[in-house]
Amino acid sequence: MKKGDRIKIQAFLDGELAPQESVKISYLIDSDLEARTVADELKSVQKLLKYGENELKLEDSRDFYWSQVHRQIEAGNSNLLEQSRPSNAPRMENPLRWILPIGSMAAIVVLMFNFNTINPKPSNEVLPEDSTANAASGLTESLGSAMEEEAPSMPEVGVFSFEGIWKNDRNLLESEDPSVLPESIENPER
Amino acid sequence: MPKLDIPNAADAELVHSSQKGNMEPYEELVHRHRDKIYARAFSMLRNEEEALDISQEAWVKGWQRLKQFQGNSTFTTWMTRICINLCLDLLRKKQRQKTDSIDQMNEEIGGFERKLPVEDVNPTETMELSELRQEIDKAMEKLSCDHRTVLVLHEFEQMEYREIAKSMQCSIGTVMSRLFYARRRLAKMLISLKKERQR
Repeated sequence: MKKGDRIKIQAFLDGELAPQESVKISYLIDSDLEARTVADELKSVQKLLKYGENELKLEDSRDFYWSQVHRQIEAGNSNLLEQSRPSNAPRMENPLRWILPIGSMAAIVVLMFNFNTINPKPSNEVLPEDSTANAASGLTESLGSAMEEEAPSMPEVGVFSFEGIWKNDRNLLESEDPSVLPESIENPER
Repeated sequence: MPKLDIPNAADAELVHSSQKGNMEPYEELVHRHRDKIYARAFSMLRNEEEALDISQEAWVKGWQRLKQFQGNSTFTTWMTRICINLCLDLLRKKQRQKTDSIDQMNEEIGGFERKLPVEDVNPTETMELSELRQEIDKAMEKLSCDHRTVLVLHEFEQMEYREIAKSMQCSIGTVMSRLFYARRRLAKMLISLKKERQR
């Protein structure tokens, strides 16, 4: 007999076989000795197992067993609370997360709108033609005359130029002549 | 509303009260059914310590999910299912680390099945019930984990093939094959027991 037929006999005895198959297997059990023997064996095992399992009893006392279960329930509750906390955290973090990009954007926008103020256009409107008007101090006078001299080569507003810086650097380099060093550098003991 | 007489209340009443968050009735439920839950865990795991841990975990899970219990089955059936699922999870974890057992290989090649003569199994004639239960228990222990689980779920929990397949995450064909092999192996063990007793 095929293994498939044996398994079908088992399914028939367990009531798991489709009605059409059940008729066939029932006929097989009645007509075939081997099939009948297999069916009898399976029935015997089923009958034996109906006597049930070995009865087991916990040795722990009621109070001890419950105390352990209770402790785990309490621990589970506190874990649930802990788990619920981080779920709030992203909500709190959200505004903070936007501060940096928004702040950066704002800074860029402020810089763009105030560019003229920070890097004034070297024109006659800013520097009056009459340099004598600014003759209150020597610095203003020299700056005014320097700007007048350099004005044609200055780039348009909106384009960064290091020319002015370079000019200052050049001045600094020029001032590295030991003879023009400030007294404090020339003689650090002072 | 009258106070619940906990020691004399029915399971359904205790469950109803526990679902409202009262722990006292739940403690009574634990006390009433803890042996059954532990026995089921032990029948599947065959290890006292693991069975104890799983039974307690089942009660913890039971409390956490108590509001989901609709009363479509009895409370003990519901709790037993939780316990079975925990046992299956543990067995799956263990099985990932283990190679196939000789029983599994035999089942696949059908070697044992061909060799086994079909005999009449009736060792109950000369045995006390408790003695017989112990012998069945011993025989069950010798089965591989998969075969024992299928047998426990089908014979003791009266689960259908389909339900077993779903719980064990395998096909119905595998369940049928395992069940058939487990029964024949059990039959062989009980026959040898009978022969021993006759000597």
